[in-house]
Amino acid sequence: MEKLTVDADGKITIPPEVIQKRGLHPGDELSLVESAEGLLVYQGGVDDKTSAWWNSLDPEQRLLAETEAHRYESLSDGERDSIWSEEADSIEAEAESDEIDFPTE
Amino acid sequence: MIRRVYERHVRLALSRPPTVLQVEAANSYAYIATITNHLYITEQTSNILKRRTPIFAAPILADTRPLKKARYLRRWARRLTEFGFSSEDAIVLAYGSFGLDVESQTVGLDAIITTDIRLADRYNQRNPEINNRFNDMITNLPEAYRQIKLPQVLTTATVLTFV
Repeated sequence: MEKLTVDADGKITIPPEVIQKRGLHPGDELSLVESAEGLLVYQGGVDDKTSAWWNSLDPEQRLLAETEAHRYESLSDGERDSIWSEEADSIEAEAESDEIDFPTE
Repeated sequence: MIRRVYERHVRLALSRPPTVLQVEAANSYAYIATITNHLYITEQTSNILKRRTPIFAAPILADTRPLKKARYLRRWARRLTEFGFSSEDAIVLAYGSFGLDVESQTVGLDAIITTDIRLADRYNQRNPEINNRFNDMITNLPEAYRQIKLPQVLTTATVLTFV
């Protein structure tokens, strides 16, 4: 991860080694994504693993993925939070019956 | 972190730009997968993924192994709440020491990766006290548990500095 500094004109300079590594050329467009967590300078590329997953899908599966993605994105933040906190584990002593003894030799 | 990796897939399917957390999580996940033999998730996360759309969840489930809870996991989680962690966060942290991989019969993790900066900061800032509390606890446990260690807690942003 590179640290970039904003100059007095609001410009940032991307280090030459990153320009070279990412194959950027003058005039290439980058997106600046603003979110609650910060700013992301985004080239539009996809990491290897996500890319491999996407490339493994046939057209029908991609269509299904798009439909399901629309459904997920239409949920409110609260609804998405609930999905990811379903069946939260209790830390109380009464819940300890599912704990397994550490294996010994 | 796994939630954000899942959501990165969702955004790609929609051809929409991802959020910062999603990019950090997906890139960290892809990097960690290249340097470690096993990626682990909690039982809770595994159960959640099993109920989600397989087209997004299946690749994550295929990459990861769910950890079981070894004895004393919750006891340690309760101790961790004394340092200001929520019970949900405390359980995740406790998996780092008392999470059991049934297949390899190993317990504990080298590192927990999270998108939650405050969780990582709190853990790292209070690490000396947490370490003392941990040592006090395991000293009183049966012999087999005395080799258990605390994990590192790293943010996805930190992981990307290793790339």
